[in-house]
Amino acid sequence: MLCEGSVRVLEIKRLYTSVNIWGVLSWVFVLLILLPNANILVNVFSEPNENWDHIKEYLLRQYISNTVLVTSLSGLFAAVIGTSLAWVVSVYDFPLRGFLKWGLVLPLAIPPYIAAYTYNGMLNYTGVLQTFLRNSLNIYIDQRYVDIMSLQGAVFIFTLFLYPYVYTITKAFLEKQSSSLIENARVLGRSPLEVFLFVILPVSRAAIVGGTTLVMLEVLNDYGVVKYFGITTFSTAIFQTWFGMGDVDSAIKLAAMLMLLVFAITMSERALRGRRRFSYTTTKARPISRIRLKGLGAVLASGYTFMIFSLGFLIPTLQLIHWALQTYRRVLGLKFLELTLNSLLMALGSAALIVCMAVVIANYSRISETVIARTNARVTIVGYSIPGAVIAIGVIVVFVALDNHLYWLYRLIDPDTPKLVLTTSLVMLMFAYTIRFIAIAVNSVESGFEKVGKKFFEASRTLGMNVTRTFFKVDLRMIQPALLSGFLLVFVDIMKELPLTLILRPFNFDTLATKSFQYAHDEMIHEAAISSLIIILVSFASIYFFHRVADKEER
Amino acid sequence: MMYVEIRGLTFRYKNAAEDTIQDFTLDIRKGEIIGILGESGSGKTTILRLIAGLEIPSRGSVRIDGRTMVDGNTFLPPERRGIGMVFQDYALFPHMTVEANIKFGLHRMDGARRNERLEEVLRLVNLAEYKRRYPHELSGGQQQRVALARALAPEPSLLLLDEPFSNLDRDLQQRIRDELKVILKGAGITSIFVTHDRDDSRALADRVVILRGGRMVEIGDPAEVLR
Repeated sequence: MLCEGSVRVLEIKRLYTSVNIWGVLSWVFVLLILLPNANILVNVFSEPNENWDHIKEYLLRQYISNTVLVTSLSGLFAAVIGTSLAWVVSVYDFPLRGFLKWGLVLPLAIPPYIAAYTYNGMLNYTGVLQTFLRNSLNIYIDQRYVDIMSLQGAVFIFTLFLYPYVYTITKAFLEKQSSSLIENARVLGRSPLEVFLFVILPVSRAAIVGGTTLVMLEVLNDYGVVKYFGITTFSTAIFQTWFGMGDVDSAIKLAAMLMLLVFAITMSERALRGRRRFSYTTTKARPISRIRLKGLGAVLASGYTFMIFSLGFLIPTLQLIHWALQTYRRVLGLKFLELTLNSLLMALGSAALIVCMAVVIANYSRISETVIARTNARVTIVGYSIPGAVIAIGVIVVFVALDNHLYWLYRLIDPDTPKLVLTTSLVMLMFAYTIRFIAIAVNSVESGFEKVGKKFFEASRTLGMNVTRTFFKVDLRMIQPALLSGFLLVFVDIMKELPLTLILRPFNFDTLATKSFQYAHDEMIHEAAISSLIIILVSFASIYFFHRVADKEER
Repeated sequence: MMYVEIRGLTFRYKNAAEDTIQDFTLDIRKGEIIGILGESGSGKTTILRLIAGLEIPSRGSVRIDGRTMVDGNTFLPPERRGIGMVFQDYALFPHMTVEANIKFGLHRMDGARRNERLEEVLRLVNLAEYKRRYPHELSGGQQQRVALARALAPEPSLLLLDEPFSNLDRDLQQRIRDELKVILKGAGITSIFVTHDRDDSRALADRVVILRGGRMVEIGDPAEVLR
């Protein structure tokens, strides 16, 4: 038998053999990712100032209640809509099902802030709905009923444009895992509704909770919708405190509280999911044999799914196309070309950098079988769950400190240098993108490595190639599809990203996302249409690629 | 001094309750073919992985031709051991042709010598016309021979073969087994292969090791051990 001591010796040996350039770089990257966030958490305990007392006494209650209300209601409604759609699409056959099956993912192509001002543009007094009712039918609506710029409006927008997180995860689960359960329940004489309530809901709990958690984290990350609708949540409060009151310390405290809220949500996901996992004991996955609906049932199923698709994608997109046709002469020009290029270059450059870092972290976690290396890869996930507002303030604090430390170096190079160099450059923005999105890339690369397995790596090692040469000659070629999908996912997310870009971009640097938000903010919603459509088109292409193409490949 | 000296090799997988390999000791003469026979889960493959340097033993040592591969103070990574290995499912690089797969391990040779060696091993395994093919364009038996050629090409000091016949159908198994013996004896290379099939051991091995629960329970001439 092996004693405890020799197990420890073995661990140390493993660690020793895995200390190489991959390990060192991986550690550096992960520490860089952790630094700004750790910096914020530490500040929860710092001495509060007078401003904080004011915030605590008069404002904090509202920040908390608004944030909790918007987040939980959006999560709840998204869970109901996402799960019901997943159920209808996986279990029944009805007209248009083939198209709607992936059409229902498309609301994800429209970032909530774009949806927010598009809906406001459609529903306000001069919008298409009220104008039509007034001019054609002589109906005047009480403005209270169509005022979308409210807490309820924000919940409506988040629900409609984020439910696909619940829908996709739950649908994948239902399609792959539950055919035998559903068939068994049917054979036992249960009605479809009973099967849904007593079999499907309990077994897909983990999937639903997982999807809902993603929705809630996205709501907490949002800055565009709540800022545009004028709702004070933590996100907007952090910036109000920071820029409005000029009080970084209190802003950091708010950020830390928001971070704790995020941790509470992710913890409760674990608790709610229980011991259940997404996967099942049986490995034999059989597709569900769907029930063909006829008559009223078919009308209801098609009607419900098509209504959600229309509200979440078709109507806002058509409206944006209409506005784009009205405004393209005014909007398109050199300036527009510049911000398109800014968006593309920033997204391409950052995505490439992020994928490279992800490859280092994932490869180290694979080749070194130590717990520490695997923890390294898991730590990157932290960034994805932390809201943009928190990352932004964490990054700025670190970069200002860094600039202060490097000032002597800047002066050596240029005696007239301003004090803040990195803080006013694109480097800071790229760094923030890295913290926020590296988890997506690490996940993609890891799944690529998992698919390939370790045998080619080992074969190469026994043929005399070291880890690094093996990586370039063998691994890299074999994980190319995973690298491409990781790159695409990060690229699209950066194209859509608003809060970090809005806050951390250098002066006078605009992207499609910031410009469309600015137009909308300046009551020029129609002018925001073209840049919004480009963002939607890029996201649409990526969703098409991942859902439609992947679906076909599976078949 | 024996050509290969394995002393007290002990290993436990992470989170496992017991040692997978317990105190494994074996001496091998140069040019000898050793068969390790055992049921699945007996630790056969793990022994090969420990010798190749793909796992780190918690105790014990491996020396080949007087050179220490692993002991209490030394651990040579797989790429520095000069040991060839044929994997159970061959692990041929799918993005490389037969030629590129075989040349992969010859990166330390100069161009002319590399081509020469390629032709030599291709002749040895009877695949000279197949060098431009990709692995997926070959039959199971041909893939196995490419894997063997690839492992032999760098002239390893020791060749390890993990269940070399398990992916072949019965008729082919017998033919390839005979071929393999001719090739290995022709190349005069010291080899260890693991198998769960007694016929394999009988046909190919000079000596057979019986492994049970990570322990060596018997060693000797196949005719005696496999009576």
